[in-house]
Amino acid sequence: MKGSVQAILKPLTYIALAISLTAISFQLIGYSSPLLAKSILEGAVGSPDAITNSVRWALPLLVTSLGVVVAFRSGFFNVGAQGQFYAGAIAVAFVVYPLEGLPPAIMTPAAVCAGIAGGALWALCPAILRLTYGTDEVITTLMGNFIAALALIEVTTGVLKDPAGTGQSSSTRPIDAVYRWSDATGVSTTLILVATVCVVVVWILLNRTSFGVLAGLAGRNPTMLVWQGATEWRLGCAAFLVSGGMAGLAGAMEVLGPNGQLISDFLPTDGFTAILIALVGGLSVPGSLIASLFFGGLAAATLYLPIMAGLPSSAVDVINAVIAILITARAWPKGFERLLMFMSPAHD
Amino acid sequence: MPPEPAASGYYALSNLVAVANALECRGVTVRYDNVVALRDVSIALEPGRIHAILGQNGAGKTTFARVLAGIVRPAEGSVLVDGREITTGNVLEARRAGIELVHQSFALPPSFTVAEAMEFGSEKYGQWPFSRKTLRSRWQPYLRALQIDVDANAVIGDLPVETQQAVEIARALVTSASVLILDEPTAVLAPGNVKALFSRLRALRDTGVTVILILHKIREVLAIAETVSVLRAGRLVEGPTPAAATTTRALADAIVGSKDSGATGFGTDDLAALTGVGPAPVPAVEIIRAPEQRETLLTLSGVVTQSDDEGVGLSGVDLRIHAKEIVGVAGVEGNGQKALVRALAGLVHLSAGRIRLAERDVTSSSLLARRAAGLRVIPFERNVEGLSLSSPLWENWSAPRLLLDGFAFINPTRLRNRCDAALRHWDVRFASTSQRAGSLSGGNAQKVILSREIDDDARFVIAAQPTRGLDIGASAFVWRALRAIRDRGHAVLLISSDLDELFDISDRIVVIASGHIVAEFQPPYRLSEIGAAMTGAST
Repeated sequence: MKGSVQAILKPLTYIALAISLTAISFQLIGYSSPLLAKSILEGAVGSPDAITNSVRWALPLLVTSLGVVVAFRSGFFNVGAQGQFYAGAIAVAFVVYPLEGLPPAIMTPAAVCAGIAGGALWALCPAILRLTYGTDEVITTLMGNFIAALALIEVTTGVLKDPAGTGQSSSTRPIDAVYRWSDATGVSTTLILVATVCVVVVWILLNRTSFGVLAGLAGRNPTMLVWQGATEWRLGCAAFLVSGGMAGLAGAMEVLGPNGQLISDFLPTDGFTAILIALVGGLSVPGSLIASLFFGGLAAATLYLPIMAGLPSSAVDVINAVIAILITARAWPKGFERLLMFMSPAHD
Repeated sequence: MPPEPAASGYYALSNLVAVANALECRGVTVRYDNVVALRDVSIALEPGRIHAILGQNGAGKTTFARVLAGIVRPAEGSVLVDGREITTGNVLEARRAGIELVHQSFALPPSFTVAEAMEFGSEKYGQWPFSRKTLRSRWQPYLRALQIDVDANAVIGDLPVETQQAVEIARALVTSASVLILDEPTAVLAPGNVKALFSRLRALRDTGVTVILILHKIREVLAIAETVSVLRAGRLVEGPTPAAATTTRALADAIVGSKDSGATGFGTDDLAALTGVGPAPVPAVEIIRAPEQRETLLTLSGVVTQSDDEGVGLSGVDLRIHAKEIVGVAGVEGNGQKALVRALAGLVHLSAGRIRLAERDVTSSSLLARRAAGLRVIPFERNVEGLSLSSPLWENWSAPRLLLDGFAFINPTRLRNRCDAALRHWDVRFASTSQRAGSLSGGNAQKVILSREIDDDARFVIAAQPTRGLDIGASAFVWRALRAIRDRGHAVLLISSDLDELFDISDRIVVIASGHIVAEFQPPYRLSEIGAAMTGAST
């Protein structure tokens, strides 16, 4: 019991500390911190619209972070959630447009499968490199992010380009409303249902299957598991594929949900914030759920701050960054230091 | 030889060493926490000679070398060079006095070129600008003078191990060392390269360098050293004795501390191997026992593995282990014990040979398949290979069962209860199965491993150093457990560096040296015989 209280208290401390530090620094450069705090709160939970918005941002973050939890627990620092998220979205587009006309009852499971498969395949390459040659997955998954982002541009300006597009932004043409999982608000029964199923499935996977226990052991001491006769291949592959599949599914949720089309450069930091969520949530499923809502709220506030309160949205970036630094200071898991080095440019 | 022009002969061998220093230790005592590594060691070593320090693993040899090199500060005692006391525990001071240490595991940065390593080790370190070309022109003549055939621009990590060692020695001599200490220099070398090393050391000695060799093989010592000293359990028990005035037997006795020295004789084969006249390694002394119809549980035939960073590989190991016996493996550490365990566990590739477990050929089977066939391993490194210290006890305990079952749904409560019952049965002192394994004492942690490995399906148990670091009570518990396995009709392979332990519980003992099984003994065991086989019967 003591352990779980600590697991909740620790991230709360980080968050509180991060907010205080941000407040102090913004006060020092001439903004009113109380106003800032009030505006962030308003933007996150101040109105029914704000809450809807927070949930809208929280849903893809939650699903992506669940995948990160699986990989990190198994000792694989898959920081390619962003690329796997895009790969899932692209795969969905390639299934949905050619199959237009099929009944939604067939299209929906097909899209779910496509999203999961796209993300999982994107994670497979780093997985094979890591498990066969020991290539550092932090490097390969991160490179995968850039490749996926470029692939997304290629697809939205190439084969799947919206012929009616204005050239202002590259995207595919809008997907028929019957196939959509939500309207532009990004909150719907379908989306919440998908996220809930993910939470339950991943929780069971980690806490009620042999995979969960063995992955936990592998993450903490792979050598010990090797001496028990485990093959890193099977566990590692499973961890990478589940992790990528989750991110890919989140991509599907975005395409068929609020976006309703494939847009280049959509949610450019989803995969990175998901890593932060997984770590703040102590690599646990309930922890990630709570952390997702918090970071979803911050994301909603990011949009609210400049428009409604005339305050810089960078305040939220600073909060995110300080949390990231504090989590790193905990010096666990080991790969996180490496990761942070690579994360900083993506937050610009 | 007249001094040559600075451009080429600046580092001519004869110029390396100006003065040879007498080296003396007085009453040196080193403690690591509660362990006394060196006890009141006083020794004086003549300059310009090759001295050998012998001793078993853990006898204090490396600590002694480190005291001389200023890496370890002794709790008591002093080090004198040429009768002048030097500040102990200060590497710079030791180097200024001309003492250089070549470490057992090499210490040069593998990504450096040879010339770069020399430059950083020299007193002129910091001269710039650097360029590969200037560095090479500065250091290639030096290397040539030392007769080291290596390109100064070669990257150290790419060099073969014997060349790396030569470069280490060259680096140590950069500062005009007058005392060169080498810690187990032959451990990494193939037999042919040992000869080359020895002639290199003789050449250095001839120029006036005092060479101190830390070794554990009597054969090698007698081949090169002019004086021999023996450390045992941190004490200087012999020497420095002129090498000509001692015998292999006397040294073997001094090393293992045989009390009945002289009372027991070596076999002729053993002596031949020790002195190096016979063909080494000695073929196993097969003692024919009354043929007994016992099931053979494990057969290794001609097993060969490559040496790697984990140590020496196996070079043709034949071994049969029957039901109802505990076979002890004696040997100086680093002679293939790790390779043997990993070969049995299927964690290393066999270049040749077969392994049969009971009736099955498991040569190409995974560890999981071998475990399913009844193999159990208590690995060398309890805290790394045996347990995940940051994971809860029940996860550690459940791992083998979960792996054997494959992907399945589990009931954690049931697993915890089973773990709880097993741990209580094995008398583990713990508070909760959710407790981290790292929170247990060494003895309790080992009991967790025993309770996990020794289940009803265990048929063949490999116990690698199962009592290392344990107190007497916990050790006795482990021994009882191993005997119980044997009494249930199974087999145990016990690898240990504690001879008392091996004598106490082994039904027979095989000796491993340089990756060979060199001898086999039946009770009653004689320390001197086994000691001789361990320390000398190998090249």
